[in-house]
Amino acid sequence: MTVADALMLALGAIAVGSGALVVTSAHLVRSGFYLVVSLGAVAGLYLVLGAELVAWVQILVYVGAVVVLLLFAVMLTRAPIGPSKDLDRPALPAALIGGGVGLGLTVLLVDAFRWTEYELPPPGTGARVGEQIFGAWVLPFEVLSILLLAALVGAIVLSRPDIGARPDPNAGAVPVTPGPVGESPEVVARLERIAARQAAAQTRLRAQRAAERAAEEGEEGELVDENSPRREPTREDLLKDQAHDVVFRAHEARPKLGETDKSEMFVEGEVVGEEVEVVEQRAIEGARPAAPRRPALPTNAGNEHPRAGEGRELPSGQDPKREGEWT
Amino acid sequence: MHAVIPYVVAALLFALGVYGVLRRRNAILVLMAVELMLNAVNLILVAADSTIKAALTDVQPEAWAYAVPEPRAGAIFALFVIVLAAAEVGVGLAIVLQYYRLRRAVVLDEVALHEHDHEQDQNAQVTS
Repeated sequence: MTVADALMLALGAIAVGSGALVVTSAHLVRSGFYLVVSLGAVAGLYLVLGAELVAWVQILVYVGAVVVLLLFAVMLTRAPIGPSKDLDRPALPAALIGGGVGLGLTVLLVDAFRWTEYELPPPGTGARVGEQIFGAWVLPFEVLSILLLAALVGAIVLSRPDIGARPDPNAGAVPVTPGPVGESPEVVARLERIAARQAAAQTRLRAQRAAERAAEEGEEGELVDENSPRREPTREDLLKDQAHDVVFRAHEARPKLGETDKSEMFVEGEVVGEEVEVVEQRAIEGARPAAPRRPALPTNAGNEHPRAGEGRELPSGQDPKREGEWT
Repeated sequence: MHAVIPYVVAALLFALGVYGVLRRRNAILVLMAVELMLNAVNLILVAADSTIKAALTDVQPEAWAYAVPEPRAGAIFALFVIVLAAAEVGVGLAIVLQYYRLRRAVVLDEVALHEHDHEQDQNAQVTS
């Protein structure tokens, strides 16, 4: 029993004990930190066995990078702080298989090596490892670096949803997903085309109706002329009457000189509120038959002509092409 | 130095890794158990490196077996395995995080292996 044996026993006990805590702890974060302890103990074993560079690479890569990555994943998957209930399957089959594997390997190795004394090799230096890597093992080293690059690219492609998503061959046509900022240029162009088409159709209809009206006016002058102005303002008149009613009721219900009561104040407030509401409604509804919205569309279409007309034919001529597309 | 000690430690670590892979349901804990197993293999490689070289002192080195006069390839293999483990953890965590982004779960029991609606899920996730 030498110093090396005692060190290896202690470090091995630490490694196995914290490894057992890694696989049995109910706290996700704690098992990550026990993994740090276990890997550190294994790095100590490497040091005792004379593989110095491997030990430091173990600490750098495993403890420094891999465990931090695992803890980041624990954080990103919103793992609960504290014990989690549903972390484990039933223990019996796993314990059976794991115990069987451990027992078999231990028996095999103990039987192979017995209690034989080996001479501890001189500690390996970085120079020797470098000679070997870049002498005898150059080809595996380069292949491994390519594999690491491929894994890097694969991880990036996997974790970004906007690249590398192949369309499912069974799914057929995949719908175009609108971006978070705006529509794709094709969709924008299509919407512009549709708007221009509608505007053209509206102007055509209006022109047609005006021609009809002019023809009717020419035929029977007075009747249509009376009707057409009256049909538009009837709604406005109705609303005006309503507003009139409301205003005069409010006027009648206004507080008189002698009686400024709380109830009266309340009634007044109510009435005034109602009046405001009705007026607003009229403003909304009255805007629709009134002039400015109808003519706005053709001007819009006119504005959009030069912008949308770069790629494809557009409603400048309007008659032959428009007919074909509209119907 | 008794070579049995690191070997038995490695065997026990590997058994713990197997137990963890079979027992745990959380994908990240399964990855941790896989790390334990890879470390056990590394430990075996390094221990074999030091012990078998000591056992081979009188054997004539042959050109096909040892490309360099001093055979110490175990540490090199351990380095290679460490690099492989880093690559494995990177890709595995990317998969786990992508799955979590799609399904809000990291439980391996409930991974549906026979569904092909990943594109729809992705689209729904993009639009939402």
